[in-house]
Amino acid sequence: MLSRSTPRRVLLVAVALVAAIAVAAAAANSTSNDQAATGTLVIDKSFDLKTADPQRQFEVTGGIVAHVLYDTLLEFRGSDVTTPRPSLATGYRASNGAKTYTFTLRRNVRFSDGTPLTSRDVVFSFRRLINLKGNPSFLLAGVTVSAGGPYTVILRSRTPNPALPAIVANGSLGIVNSKLVEANGGTDAAGADKTDKAESFLNRTSAGSGPYLLKSFNTTSRVELTANPRYTGRRKAKFATVVIRNVLAPAQLLSVQRGTNEISLDLSPDQARPLFGSRNVNVQAISGPNIWFLFANSNSKISSITSNKRFQNAIRYQLDYAGLVRLAGRGSGRAAGVVPSQFLGALADAAAIKQNTTRAKAELAASGLTNPEVELEFPSDFTSSGLSFGVIAQKIQADLGKIGIKVNLAGKPIATSLANYRAGTEQLGLWLWGPDYPDPNDYLVFLPGQLVGLRAGWAAGSDRRLEALGRRAGSTSNPRVRGQLFRQIQVQLNQRGPFFPLFQPGQVVAASKNLTGVVYNATFQIDLATIGSR
Amino acid sequence: MARGRSLGALIPGRSRTRPPRPFLRFLARRFVALLFLGLGITLVAFLLTNLAPGDPAAANLGQRAIEDPAAVASFRERYGLDKSLPEQYGIYVWRLAHGDLGESQQARLPVTEELGTFIPATAELALLSILIAVVVGVGLGILAAIRQNRLTDHVLRVVSLTGVSMPTFWLALVALYIFFFRLNWLPGTGRLDPQFSEPEHRTGFFTIDALLQGEWATAGDAARHLVLPALVLALYNIGLLTRYTRAAVLEVVHNDYIRAARAKGISERRIVLRHVLRAALPSVLTVIGLAFANVMTGAVLVENIFAWPGIGQYAYRSATTLDLPAIMGVSLFVAVVYIVVNFAVDVLYGVIDPRIRVS
Repeated sequence: MLSRSTPRRVLLVAVALVAAIAVAAAAANSTSNDQAATGTLVIDKSFDLKTADPQRQFEVTGGIVAHVLYDTLLEFRGSDVTTPRPSLATGYRASNGAKTYTFTLRRNVRFSDGTPLTSRDVVFSFRRLINLKGNPSFLLAGVTVSAGGPYTVILRSRTPNPALPAIVANGSLGIVNSKLVEANGGTDAAGADKTDKAESFLNRTSAGSGPYLLKSFNTTSRVELTANPRYTGRRKAKFATVVIRNVLAPAQLLSVQRGTNEISLDLSPDQARPLFGSRNVNVQAISGPNIWFLFANSNSKISSITSNKRFQNAIRYQLDYAGLVRLAGRGSGRAAGVVPSQFLGALADAAAIKQNTTRAKAELAASGLTNPEVELEFPSDFTSSGLSFGVIAQKIQADLGKIGIKVNLAGKPIATSLANYRAGTEQLGLWLWGPDYPDPNDYLVFLPGQLVGLRAGWAAGSDRRLEALGRRAGSTSNPRVRGQLFRQIQVQLNQRGPFFPLFQPGQVVAASKNLTGVVYNATFQIDLATIGSR
Repeated sequence: MARGRSLGALIPGRSRTRPPRPFLRFLARRFVALLFLGLGITLVAFLLTNLAPGDPAAANLGQRAIEDPAAVASFRERYGLDKSLPEQYGIYVWRLAHGDLGESQQARLPVTEELGTFIPATAELALLSILIAVVVGVGLGILAAIRQNRLTDHVLRVVSLTGVSMPTFWLALVALYIFFFRLNWLPGTGRLDPQFSEPEHRTGFFTIDALLQGEWATAGDAARHLVLPALVLALYNIGLLTRYTRAAVLEVVHNDYIRAARAKGISERRIVLRHVLRAALPSVLTVIGLAFANVMTGAVLVENIFAWPGIGQYAYRSATTLDLPAIMGVSLFVAVVYIVVNFAVDVLYGVIDPRIRVS
């Protein structure tokens, strides 16, 4: 029989238990929030590094570094590249037919030296980017920047620019501490390309609000980062130190198996083969964002053969796309169109052109050409994702040879082949397009009269229907409608354009098994700040 | 000649109190040759780089920036590419005369500053490598010669031939696989493990800089990182020096004065070290000099595989991006290395062999 005091005792015990749980939960919560960053994270990367100055860098390695040193107005999270999320800006409002964007800044953000971040810093950073006339300056071409108050920034574009939210998430648009950069020779004034002297300062010290700080920077050996103790954002650093080392892929393969807290970013799918099923290493092999494509020059002055539309169709239907994807290795995927599968407006695989040798032969017969012989140019000394252009060129040569098209391989050092490609003098060209920013507008370059279109001899006015569609897609702000328009563009490009999208090569990320939060993103590769250790 | 006397004092026809004019004349001649050679190198490098198909702007600007006339004009103006070739060369030589090698188009840093970072990294590696090669290679060469046509000689000839025949990049990969990956005896790539920060730059030699700052652990780690690449670089030179030393010793060992020394009852060790080696050393020294210059300037593959941030990596990056000021800087450096090494070898000839001093 229970005594009278039992309910009281039970109540006391229950209260004590609840209190204990509450205290434990609070303690656990405070531990997870204030957990001090410890240990060293090691990233092995084959460097293409030039600078740590965010407004000058536009390389892959530079993008990885900038992403954790400098916060941007908006950001992409995880592997997503379709929806820019709030970062320094709590949000934005588009108006005036996607010509004006108003961003509202978070109020409690401070740079690593304690200076509050305001619209002045954003305006300075963006104007500096424009006036430095460097590699990433085109991102804000035709855009003017102004402050609408201490925490409001207004971007005005000359033409409708629905890609601007994706563009402001680019690491080159990272926000610098304007006072600090100005004090060290930086300027955002016109003529900054000649007068700005802040690069060497920014190669020694970071001036951002990101989760990490720059400790040391060397373009050929290593970059060292330390956790930013003043960081207040969502991506708090989990490691005290991050070391990014310049290592060739074969050595990366050995290091990642030996090390702990180590990530390798440059293994080709073939090189990574021994790691699949490894006890120490997690391997992700997913389609990267680069599109490998072949083109046939539409300029009859360059080649009367490749400019023949029927000849172009013969190539289109004779290529063994499935074989090319297999050759590209594990994780690679078919490029159904020129827009990568991860982006808004990508074509479904089912809509991709398929090999049809009968049709290819019929098209070749209808072209009126007999025993056509053409030259295929490609960069012979360049690999991407561990994949050599020469190997793919040989496969194309073999495929086309089966219907009587003789392809002479003309591999040249990239400095030479790039010049020919840009001059539009290649008959057949094998190249890739890497995204400048994750928005389908970046792929309008494949239309007649545009950057890559001209390289394939496709002058403006060559396909007015497609060009009009491109103008409409490029200025439409509704994502659903944009997606449809870009899919239409690609279907038409696939039907009658001089481009033959081939594949998106596999991107391998190999990481020590104890690491968490290692997620590949098509824009910044990996976010070092989200990576932790078990 | 007595030991310990200065080189100047050893040259005949000159008193000790007068300045060592012949030596100074020799130095002056070398210096003038260095100037002309350097100038010639800059001209050849400049012409060849400009003759190479390709555009530095296209190689350095991105795919979008190259289409932007303002960005291209800004790049050309910054690096003087908007001027005629003779003008560009004239400006380069004028700046060179003032110790300015221009600005790297890749890193946008002064080339002198970049060379100041990359050269010590290679020099640290090259010095250790050549030290290992000399000690082992010359030792084995002598051993092979004094045991001519015996088993030791045959084995060493095969070993040395293997050493010179192995591709260095392959050796580097195999060494990395065995000693780092399989056995974990030595560290893999780079100059330091990730947990160590680079010591403050004083000499650029991490081992020395760390010791100067009392960072013993860093110095130890830097030394461990040196071992594998230095050994890989040394293997070829060990083979080379073994073969040359053997041949040089064999040329000397049958001379009359060696026979006479033996007849006088001098110990074999003394004969080898004091008489044979001294006479054989000048030709070996030439090979050592060239080997050192080769390691200083030609370790591109090994530096790449071991992620060693040396002059080889810098040269490779500069060449692939048509970075003209950097290519010129590297070319000048290579020329200076060969000139200085040859000069040092010439001086050492005189130190080793009295006949050369008096001739």
